[in-house]
Amino acid sequence: MTVWKTSMRNFFAHKGRMALSAVAVLLSVAFVCGTLVFTDTMNTTFDKLFAVSSPDVTVSPKGAEENDEQPDNGKPASLPASLVQQVEKAEGVKKAEGAAFSMAVTVVNSENKNMGSETGAPTIASNWTDNDLRSMEITSGHAPRGPTEVMVDGDTAKKHKLKIGDELRTIAVTGDIRAKISGIASFTVTNPGAAVVYLDTATAQKHLLGAPDVFTQVLVTAESGVSDTQLKKNVAAALDGSAAYRLQTQQEAADANKDSMGAFLDVMKYAMLGFAGIAFLVGIFLIVNTFSMLVAQRTREIGLMRAIGSSRKQVNRSVLLEAVLLGIVGSVLGVAAGIGLAVGLMKLMGAVGMELSTRDLTVAWTTPVIGLVLGVVVTVLAAYIPARRAGKVSPMAALRDAGTPADAKSGWVRAGIGLVLTGAGGAALWATTQADKATEGSGFLAVGVLLTLIGFIVIGPLLAGVVVRALSVVVLRLFGPVGRLAERNALRNPRRTGATGAALMIGLALVACLSVVGSSMVASATEELDKSVGADFIVQDSGAGRPIVPQAAEALHAVPGLEHLTDYTYIKAKITAPDGRTVDEGITATDPTYQQDVRRTALSGDLAKAYDKNAMSVGEDYAEKHGVKVGDTLSIAFKTGESAKLKVAAITSDDTNIDRGAMYTNLTTATAYIAADKMPQNVAMFGKAEEGKEKEAYAALKSALAEYPVYKVQNQADFKEDLKDQIGQLLNIVYGLLALAIIVAVLGVVNTLALSVVERTREIGLMRAIGLSRRQLRRMIRLESVVIALFGALLGLGLGMGWGTAAQKLLALEGLEVLEIPWPTILTVFACSALVGLFAALVPAFRAGRMNVLNAIATDG
Amino acid sequence: MTTAVTIPRHGGTGGRTAVAARARQVVKAYGSGETRVVALDHVDVDIARGQFTAIMGPSGSGKSTLMHCLAGLDTVTSGEIFLDETEITKLKDKKLTQLRRDRIGFIFQAFNLLPTLNALENITLPMDIAGRKPDADWLRQVVETVGLAERLKHRPTQLSGGQQQRVAVARALAARPEIIFGDEPTGNLDSRAGAEVLSFLRRSVDELGQTIVMVTHDPVAASYADRVLYLADGSIVDEMYNPTADQVLDRMKHFDARGRTS
Repeated sequence: MTVWKTSMRNFFAHKGRMALSAVAVLLSVAFVCGTLVFTDTMNTTFDKLFAVSSPDVTVSPKGAEENDEQPDNGKPASLPASLVQQVEKAEGVKKAEGAAFSMAVTVVNSENKNMGSETGAPTIASNWTDNDLRSMEITSGHAPRGPTEVMVDGDTAKKHKLKIGDELRTIAVTGDIRAKISGIASFTVTNPGAAVVYLDTATAQKHLLGAPDVFTQVLVTAESGVSDTQLKKNVAAALDGSAAYRLQTQQEAADANKDSMGAFLDVMKYAMLGFAGIAFLVGIFLIVNTFSMLVAQRTREIGLMRAIGSSRKQVNRSVLLEAVLLGIVGSVLGVAAGIGLAVGLMKLMGAVGMELSTRDLTVAWTTPVIGLVLGVVVTVLAAYIPARRAGKVSPMAALRDAGTPADAKSGWVRAGIGLVLTGAGGAALWATTQADKATEGSGFLAVGVLLTLIGFIVIGPLLAGVVVRALSVVVLRLFGPVGRLAERNALRNPRRTGATGAALMIGLALVACLSVVGSSMVASATEELDKSVGADFIVQDSGAGRPIVPQAAEALHAVPGLEHLTDYTYIKAKITAPDGRTVDEGITATDPTYQQDVRRTALSGDLAKAYDKNAMSVGEDYAEKHGVKVGDTLSIAFKTGESAKLKVAAITSDDTNIDRGAMYTNLTTATAYIAADKMPQNVAMFGKAEEGKEKEAYAALKSALAEYPVYKVQNQADFKEDLKDQIGQLLNIVYGLLALAIIVAVLGVVNTLALSVVERTREIGLMRAIGLSRRQLRRMIRLESVVIALFGALLGLGLGMGWGTAAQKLLALEGLEVLEIPWPTILTVFACSALVGLFAALVPAFRAGRMNVLNAIATDG
Repeated sequence: MTTAVTIPRHGGTGGRTAVAARARQVVKAYGSGETRVVALDHVDVDIARGQFTAIMGPSGSGKSTLMHCLAGLDTVTSGEIFLDETEITKLKDKKLTQLRRDRIGFIFQAFNLLPTLNALENITLPMDIAGRKPDADWLRQVVETVGLAERLKHRPTQLSGGQQQRVAVARALAARPEIIFGDEPTGNLDSRAGAEVLSFLRRSVDELGQTIVMVTHDPVAASYADRVLYLADGSIVDEMYNPTADQVLDRMKHFDARGRTS
């Protein structure tokens, strides 16, 4: 029991010195728990929504797979309206209703502002059915009673301050529906962000589905006492040829919805847990340092314990027990903070348009358990080496004159292992750059990244010596003797400096690597655009990749000052080559002017001929794989049902990022086979202005799209800028997540300095006595901190740029051909680390400055 | 600048006052009310320039406190302390630090040196901190006097205890302070090493005209001084000039006996 007692006493005696380690554990655990609680809550929210809103049995057309992408022609697959009566006759059916809905719509207000979500949640237009009452209630006004009335959901109404009488325009594939708001229906469960408008049934059928006598689904309600499975059987029987339809019970429908949502949530969950893992890794360094320093400071005490008869094991165990206590304290606080973090995240999501309610806050019993176990296990593992070292303290240490342990020599063994690892890692990275297959290259890259990281961590203490000396020549010497003292202090325990710097290195290496890849992406895309895009303007959806509705395309075609405006669409098809093999592919149907918009090289044949009647082109890879030559004929079975035989007139090079592998045919060839109402909508449009009219044409295109706010037109400069912004935004999110690891690393610097100051109390007292001013003392500590931070930054940025370069060389196989090192970013990060160093030293320097000279000198140890 | 052989600024023969430091009615008390402990009780003392003064007294007599106050390491409760003509009891921390740096030298009992600096760097540290260039001739002379020429590149951990204290003495001498204060500088050394250090201090007074104040409880150490001050219960109770170890020991016994009976 004495072990327990000494551990407790030590833990509480040094609680200040443990505080930062506890914060590191806290942050990492909080991130893990926050992620779990947040994703669980989202799951709960969607589960509730899906469970409540599905009818007892749903009948839908077979072809329309649940959650398939939107139909190409903007019209959902439908069922004949007569099916409703048929279903109603089935036994146990209380009510059967036809639902007509579409997610291929945009809703705008009278100012042409999009009412839908910008974050990927759907916009749904539907008829109002009794089934909707499961999850909604009309809170004001009434359901739509004619083509001029529309009902909107309460969340959307609130967000955009809509009231009864306001006009909404629903842009559907068949045209715009203008109607005044007749009522507002509010969700009775949490709606995470979908915008819903309700039309009267006839309008919905006509405009959303394109025919008056069809529905998207039949929603069946059971009589009381009839189970969903029984009902499903009954309905199937009533439809006897049910092969054409798909029947789902409430549970099945909810599960299907959940699955597609769950996949997205899982990606998010694991990505966030990955970042939490990095923070944990960084936290380990901090904990190792803390315990090493505590053990070093307590050497004499431990020697005494050993001298009076404590066994190695007991000493060892007492240190580990302290780690357990630290882990428990940090984790318990971390779990609590994690729940707070999840609530914060939910609020944040609310701010960007994804509503989540704290009513649904879900804390699974596993969450605190995972948090605690993870926190304690990681802490104890990190403390293991220092604990072992404590066990090895000889009883003689009690007798020796204490004092700061002399410079810890970092052994040759360490150097050897580190160099071998780094060398192997470097070789793997080099192999990555030489790989000519992406799969083998990515293997090399992963191995290379891992080995160089571990290698750098292992030789960190040695590098600390070299780098700190080099840095001090550049930076510290400017500060004269104070700078020299700082240099010596940073060098006196290379292992400590190495570990502190390595913690910072990890986060910054990832930042540097990603910024290299990101800016190479921008540079490569820009180069490609310059090389092959001839179009002045590109029109496409601004976010969710929706196709362009015909009325918007028409408005664009009416714009004057254009030399041409190319329609561009994609038709899914099964293609059979002369070799007899059939593959699921797609045909890009476009105007011949597209050849000017995007320049493609024909390896054989003449690309212009591919736009002739019943002709097409294929990509190089496809041609090679299937032995297709110019002049061959391919059998095309369009997804819309028609089939055609097209002659290959050209084979295009696949050495490109734009339209790689695309098979082109003339739009007129496609329309010759496919009926106009089945024809997929434009995916994008490309325009070229008449000579000297670029500005006017651009403005005119923009104003033509004013009524259709979800589409955007961009000229080349804006397109590039947009691309840069998008990648920049993505990088910012990742940097934001990495900030956690960097914060933990900065805490590590603070921790090291704070403990060093305590350790050097007597030295500081001595220097103050012989005339070092407070200001000089503080500067000395700040400089030490800056040097440690810069050391970490230099290693991290160097390593990260190496990784990034290797990754770019690998991705060059996928078209990322230009390597661009973002020097401004790299240099900014480097400069910021110096600031971070200054920041980290604030408190330790202040405390050192405040020390009483006489007490400091008199300090034992 | 004059030659390095004589003390240029404040040697005993210089134009300065004969008193290097003086304390007037100095009181140092800790706590208040019932728990008030008086460490120094209206002490008046003059430290003669160019002399080696030892302060002796039993534990708790206030000898270290007196030295700390004289050296500007500690503040006084009341009274005045002058270093030459500067009243240091009025100085704020910043000025006091400068004063310690430029005008005072220290030798502590242990842990006198920074482990990260070699011997030479430790010796020149006060001047480095001040941004002054050490006088090369003087430095050489000091280093030779304390016999460290061979070990200047050694780190403190590579030096014996006696050598470390000699480095500390060299550091104190190198900056040519007005007064060097020693807080039991030989307390951690064996008698041979202690004698070595003390004779260096003695020589620096005799040959270099240095003023030294040393706190000690060792009669042998005190015998190296020109004058010994005896402190008891926060007051100066006696003094002795040109003492021998035996005389000091006798006097100490006397005080100890008195301390026990009172």
